[in-house]
Amino acid sequence: MTVGIRNEPYLIINIFFAGVILLVFAYSGFFSPDKDNYPVTCVHEQLTGLPCVSCGLSHSYSLIVRGRIDEAYQWNRYGMRIFLFFAAQLVLRVAFSIFYLKYPDTRKQLIIVDYIGSGIVFIVSFWPFMMSIITGIFYK
Amino acid sequence: MEEVKNNTGQNLGIAALITAVITFVLAVIPCIGLIAIIPGIIAIVLASVGLSQAARNASPRGVLLAGLIIAIVASLISFSQIFVAGKIAQKAEKWPNSIQNIINDVQDNVTKELEDANVSIKIESNGDKVEINTNSNKKDQVKKLEDLEGGKIQESDSIQKSDSVQINVIVKKKK
Repeated sequence: MTVGIRNEPYLIINIFFAGVILLVFAYSGFFSPDKDNYPVTCVHEQLTGLPCVSCGLSHSYSLIVRGRIDEAYQWNRYGMRIFLFFAAQLVLRVAFSIFYLKYPDTRKQLIIVDYIGSGIVFIVSFWPFMMSIITGIFYK
Repeated sequence: MEEVKNNTGQNLGIAALITAVITFVLAVIPCIGLIAIIPGIIAIVLASVGLSQAARNASPRGVLLAGLIIAIVASLISFSQIFVAGKIAQKAEKWPNSIQNIINDVQDNVTKELEDANVSIKIESNGDKVEINTNSNKKDQVKKLEDLEGGKIQESDSIQKSDSVQINVIVKKKK
């Protein structure tokens, strides 16, 4: 049985997300932590003059890509867990797409497991950032 | 005859869902959370247009609704960061006073620690040697004041009068 990718939203979404994650990795690899030539600066710091919990994330990613893990932790302590989230998602997008094509009978269950699992992993990975936003909203 | 599936608005739905998920990821990163409002609005517009098309042709709306809900939540998170930044900026105005108090405390502690310190500086250049010894010993200052005033003085007086620092300079010239 042949499956037209155009008629499969799940596959299109997976391909797009894999592409976006690859772009994130390319960004990390292209810009150098030594030259400090990152185009994106912290909007939060520009507005308040204070660094936020996600400051140094680009540096952290670039250092992880270059294998300088200790330095990556110094730039942002949560950099590694978010990098691992993206790396895991890249593998999962490919793996789930293969399963989706190989086992057409279990597609619905596969999509449900994928969305729930990815959602939980996302919350766990980004929890410190979410907490900083929540505490910021309720800060008196 | 095979039933033809009506997929009007589905492409918009996929685009909206992808944009919405990317917006959500961006929105929870405080550094770029505010920027996420732009793709958030794009996703809401895409999903809304798709929903109206789907409603006209009675096509499935699952992906479109998912995209719309995620986009709205992501935009709200992104928008909330304006308030967070505003609150922090407002509170930050009070922090300099607190920081100044901490600096004063540290300064007082360091001054107290150095009150009885002896400092010796030696400079040597082309055989010429300059040696500077400073002695701010409070007890010595008290003794010196006693000698000068020819009598006993109160500890509080000695503190006020012990602002001066004794400096001995020894210059050794090369022959």
